[in-house]
Order: sequence, then structure tokens, then C-alpha cells
Amino acid sequence: MIHRTKQPTVHPVQHIEFIKPLIFDVTEDVRLLWVKDVPNDTVRLDLYFDAGIIRSDKSISSIVHSLLFSGTVDKSSVEIHESIDALGGFLDTDLSFETAVVTVYCLREHLLHISLLVGEAINGLSFRESEVEDNLRSMGQKFNENNQKVKNVAQQQFRKLLFESHIDYSTIAEETDFKEGNYASMKHYFKDHYLNGLERITLVGNVEQDTVDALIDLFGKWAIDAKPTFGSNFSTTQKRHHFPVDGAVQTAIRMGKMLFSKQHPDYMGFQCLNTILGDYFGSRLMSNIREDKGYTYGIGSGMMELQNDGYLVIVTEVGKEVADATLTEIQFELKRLQEEEVSSEELELVKNYMLGQLLKSADGPYAMLDMYNSVDMYGLDLSFYDRAIAEIREMTPLRIRELAKQYLNWEDFLIVTAG
Amino acid sequence: MIEFNRYKLDNGLTVIHHLDTTTPMAVVNVLYDVGARDESEEKTGFAHLFEHLMFGGSVNIPDFDAPLQFAGGESNAFTSNDITNYYDTLPVQNIETALWLESDRMLSLAFTPKSLEVQRSVVIEEFKQRYLNQPYGDVWLELRPLAYKEHPYKWATIGKEIKHIEDAEMDDVKAFFKAHYHPGNAILCIAGNISFERTQELVAKWFGDIPESLKPDRMLPKEPEQKEYREKTIERAVPNDAFYYAFKMPERRSYEYYVADIISDALGREKSSRLYGRLKKELKLVTSINAYITGSLDEGLLVIDGKLSDGVTFEQVEEALWTTLDELNATQLSDSETAKLLIKIRTIKEFQEQGLLNRAMNLCNYELLGDANGVNEENLLYQSITAKQIQALGKSMLRRENCSVLRVKAIKA
Repeated sequence: MIHRTKQPTVHPVQHIEFIKPLIFDVTEDVRLLWVKDVPNDTVRLDLYFDAGIIRSDKSISSIVHSLLFSGTVDKSSVEIHESIDALGGFLDTDLSFETAVVTVYCLREHLLHISLLVGEAINGLSFRESEVEDNLRSMGQKFNENNQKVKNVAQQQFRKLLFESHIDYSTIAEETDFKEGNYASMKHYFKDHYLNGLERITLVGNVEQDTVDALIDLFGKWAIDAKPTFGSNFSTTQKRHHFPVDGAVQTAIRMGKMLFSKQHPDYMGFQCLNTILGDYFGSRLMSNIREDKGYTYGIGSGMMELQNDGYLVIVTEVGKEVADATLTEIQFELKRLQEEEVSSEELELVKNYMLGQLLKSADGPYAMLDMYNSVDMYGLDLSFYDRAIAEIREMTPLRIRELAKQYLNWEDFLIVTAG
Repeated sequence: MIEFNRYKLDNGLTVIHHLDTTTPMAVVNVLYDVGARDESEEKTGFAHLFEHLMFGGSVNIPDFDAPLQFAGGESNAFTSNDITNYYDTLPVQNIETALWLESDRMLSLAFTPKSLEVQRSVVIEEFKQRYLNQPYGDVWLELRPLAYKEHPYKWATIGKEIKHIEDAEMDDVKAFFKAHYHPGNAILCIAGNISFERTQELVAKWFGDIPESLKPDRMLPKEPEQKEYREKTIERAVPNDAFYYAFKMPERRSYEYYVADIISDALGREKSSRLYGRLKKELKLVTSINAYITGSLDEGLLVIDGKLSDGVTFEQVEEALWTTLDELNATQLSDSETAKLLIKIRTIKEFQEQGLLNRAMNLCNYELLGDANGVNEENLLYQSITAKQIQALGKSMLRRENCSVLRVKAIKA
């Protein structure tokens, strides 16, 4: 006879194996990280540039980023893509606050050839007029489309207000940015932030050492000269703003506050608190606002990392008639964490969950590289995870409440709504 | 090559076991052979609403997620027009918790009124968030009934209208469960570093005593052959004019399905594709253009969508688009173009095999099609496709009489 009402015995995660990638110096400041142990023919190559959104105004960073494969004097964008497609390669690009990334996915036998094509395309980028205009048209349309989405409006305005103390972090895109190409700015920016802006290379793939050496030769010439600097000591004075969006049936909420960087002694402790608050399906915010009230399809909170700082953000879209009720419930949940200790059952669950997730995010060569990269980028090493595991295990209800008292005061939050 | 074992329990449950000794994680994937196409036209959106209710507690376990999270795992699910798929990922040493949870909700649900009431609101918010509250969000609600006249693919998984979800009652929920949620209608895959013997033991323990039920007969209305060019224009407060060309394409189990997939790649998957090169780069008529297939089990759709550049008319796009399609039909693809399309498929397949969850889902999907081993034959099947086959299918598929066009005209709000 089996007992369907009783959960089978659970064994918490005891040990997580972290593997350090092979590390090569490209220059004094630029490194290549390589995970070689891949059981099949797949390869991923990432090039990180000091070309994040904060490095320009008037959307120059995103315009140049979108033009990287738009053609050289000899080759059109279609020809460039054709040559990479013919080798079965996929290109991906990502632009965030503080970095820009170009990614190649391919089979290992084509890595070197595709890398040469990528090198050629970026080295020779010539800002062809027809390509620039085509891109600006697309970006301008996308901008207008995004402006009709409440979540996008809330996100942009949240950023603008949260980072008000730093103009490079708070400048958001405007429609006029895409009206006409400012070629001089684009070329200047491209030279400074790409041709002399490579920050790091990461590689996952079972390739030969010769190939890695060739990649270093090929891309090393773009290496940045000096360590880039990033914003610090952010402060926010703004409190509550609403941005109307015509015809919206939902209201987007973005609320948050500056916290601290990944090096901060409270980082891991707060991560536990954040998980309880809003970072998993059974979180306080999900349980209350989705699973009890049915106000939303989803609500969550997250800690966002910057080089020298970090912030907390709570994100949701709710029916417009329940936007105020949702804020009341969020306030209630923050207060509850400050006033009542979490039960040992809830904390135990969150600890097991976090360790399970950590185990998952270290599973396989691709995950392992990302894992290492996400500490190395912030000047930390793998001991971060050993400390993290220990801290999660030792977390107490009292400590959670203390962290909530220190960091989750309703009055400290910036609240942005759009809808 | 994805190795697997497969067997059936006496109650009809199909079990697939896939061993991977390199990962500390395990996946439990349960595919139910029920989707939005199995709904009645008066009660649409039900398969998807039901998926939400499957997390609202089962007959012996009040909460689905908490025990799984306690075991270090997490879970999610999705509903399509064809299937409903649930998956759990957790450290392998706790795999029994996932089997305990999945088996109990296959046995029976708690059917609490509160769960129904809350999930109705959650799904209505999902409806608003995805389909109503963003530009172009409702095009599939319009395009489906244009392309399908009889087949239940004419409604989207979220449902035809919010009212159908609002009206859902407990009796409907119970009847739906009884008809579709039982061992004979499910495929279970267990993947990870767990032996076949242990898998059999655990599956027998948790799923063995779930009563058998008859697999429902699926008698879907057959979509009559389309014989006319269908066009519809709607006006919406969107920033730019947009178009959606939908061609009927062969069903999932046919060889031609794969050929149609390649045709969509040739037309508009990448920046070196034909439509992208012609309409966007050369003629500058559009700011974006894509081609893709819906991947449906029954007769599906190959869709070409895009947005117009300012000042361009729908007629200009119409002409350029058909010229490009007619060219594809008139002349066989060159060897190099065919080779380019096929090597991209090979790369994608190789990457897809990376993930344990992907492997588990694919094994279940292919088992539903008839044989889990199809997952190992898929790439070869693609690689065997010739330019001649592409041209032949193109000619029969990329025709006006086989096409439904939805145009979204931008107006001021």
C-alpha cells in the first residue's frame, strides 16, 4: 500500500561541482575563458564589448550595435549573412546597460571560418547609407510599437527615474534618435567601443588549442586599452509616477530601489529574502497576487547587477481596475516580511529550492561557463558559490526579518505605473 | 543519438526512459494527448484553462508546487492546439517526489471552487496581457478563423473570447478531466541518471494503480480544401500597417511537412533568406519580414508576416511577395542554397540535443506521432530533401487559392 498523502523522502543537495574554465590572457586586461569539455560538436563563442547602452546618448549604442553586420566596402549585409549561413552558423547580439555581446553558435568544424567572417565584417564595417537607413526605419517603427506596450513604457521610465543621479544610465531612447543617421557619431563610437573595446572572449566547445590561439590573434586586436569605468553611488529621490497609455486594458507596475553590488556582504542573504518575496512560483507575491487574488498572469521580483551597484525591481502587469489594490498587497507583503519571521517550513523549502536551482545552473558545459562568467565579470571567483551554499544553509528567520527591515521599507521605493 | 527504453503499463500509460549519466538533474515530462482542437466550439480556451487547474492541488496533495520546490525542483506546462505538456526538473535524488505529484494529479484533481475561480481570473489577465494589451496581439484571433472554416484550429488556445473562460463551470472541468486525463491518453518520459530498473520500479509504484479509461475517439471535422484567395483587412490603433499571409501546409506526420519547413526557411528565416533580401533589403518595402510554420499535427499553416515601411502600400507588398513566391516555384533551388538550408537544420538539431528537458519533450512528441525513435531520424529526413521536392511542394502550396491574407491597417487611436 502506498501513501499518496505523504511526500517521498527528500534529500537536499549536498554538493555542487564547479569547474573553472581554462583562462588565457589576451592582453593585461582582456581574457579568454574556455570550457573545452563538450560531449558533442556544438560551439558557442561570445565577444564582450565595452559598448553598453550607457556609453552613448541618442541611441547611438543601440544603432551601432544593430549595424555590426550591415556590410563592408566589399560585401553587403546579405552577402555577409549568406556566407555565415552557408557554414550553418547563427549570430546573436545582445545589448545591456554595461556591455554589448556578439555571439556565434555553430558546429566546431566551422568555428574558425565563421570567426574570420565575423572579424572581417566588423573590421570593415562601412556604414553603407542604404543599410543605415533601413536599420533606422526598422528601429524607429519598433520604438513606436514598444511605446504602445505598457510594460515597455513602465520599464523605460523606471530606469530613467531610478538612475536620475547618472545621466548616462538614465537617458532613454526617443523617437528623434532614429530620424536620421549621424554618421560621424556612429563611426566615432564604433571605433572607440568596438575596434578598441573588446573586454572578454568566452568559448564553449571541444576545439583544438590551435583554434583558440587563432581566435586570440584574430580578435585580440580589438582589445580595450584600459579598464573601463562604470557608475557608482547611485541615488534616487523620485517616489511615484504614473504614465498614461491610450487604450490600455492593463497597468504595468515597475517598482524598486538601489541596493548594492554583488560583492556586498548582504548579497546572498538578500537573495534568499528576494526569493521568498518574489523570485519563484511559490513566492509571497505570486501566492497572494496571482494565486489568491487572480489579479495578474505573473508577478516577480529580481536583483539586478551592475558593475559597482545593484537594484531590486518588482515587475507585473495587472488588470487596470486592480492596479491600486495590487500596490496595497505588495505593501502588505513587504511589511509582513519586516514584522513576522518566516516559518521554518517556508525557509526550509526556499533553501532546498535555491540549492536545487544552483545545481541546475551549474549543469553542463554551457551553464558552467555562464556560472563562472557571472562571478568573474564582477571581480569574484568560484569561491563565491561555496560561500553562497554555506550562507543559504545557515540562513535563519531572524536574519531574513532583519534584512527586510533594513532593505524593504515601503517609503524607499520608486513606484512607476503605466497604463 | 538519443538512447531510450519504452514500455506500456497495463493501464495504458506509455513510459519512456532516457539515461544520461552526466547530469545531476532529472526531468519528468508528461504529455497529454489533448489540446485546444479537442474543445467544443461553444467552450473554447478550456484545454489551456485546465492546464492552470492542474497546479491547483490534486486528490491527495493540496498544493502541487510547494513539495516540488521543497525537493529543489520546479515545474511548468504549456498548451497548444494539439497537446498539453507538463514538465518537472529537479535533482535526480528527489525524482520520486515528481512521480508522486504527477501520478496523483493523473489519478484525480482536488476540484476546489477557489482554484477554478482564481485561475479563471489569471487566464483572463493572460488573455489581456498577450492578446489585447499589445499592438498586433489579436492577429491570431483573426487569422485562424480566416484560414480555417471547419477544423478547430480556427480558434486559438487561449480561446475565441474571454466570455468562454468566464463561463467555465466545475462540471465542465470534471468532464474534461474524465475524458482526457488518464494513463491511456498520456506519455511519460523519465530522463536523467536513473537506471531502467529503478524507473520501472518507481513508475509501477506510483502509476500502476491508476485506473484505466478509454482513449477518447477523436472525430474532428476535416477542413475542406481551400479553393479561393481569402483576404481580410482590419483596422487597429497600431503604429504601422502589417500583413500575414497564411498557406495551408501538409500535416505533421507526412514527409512533405519537413519539406514545407525548409521552404519557410528559404523564404524568411534568416537575413540571407529570399523575402528578406528582396522585400526588405532590395526594395525596402518592409521593415521586418519572417516566414515560419505553425508545426500543427493536422494540416497546418506556413505564415509570412511583416510590417510595411512608411509610405508603402499593401498592393506594392502584394506584388513583390507573389513575384518572389512565383520565382521559387519556377526555378529549382541551387545546390548551394539547398545545402545552406540543410546545414542550418543540422546545427539546430545538434544544439537542441544539448538539453535534457528538450530530449525528454522530443521523445514524447515523437512517441505521440507514432515512434519516439523519430527523434533520431529527424535530421536524416531533413538532409534527404532535394531541390526537386521543394519545388514540387512549393508549386502546390504557394498558390493564391491556398492562401489567406490578413492585413492590419494602422489608424489613429
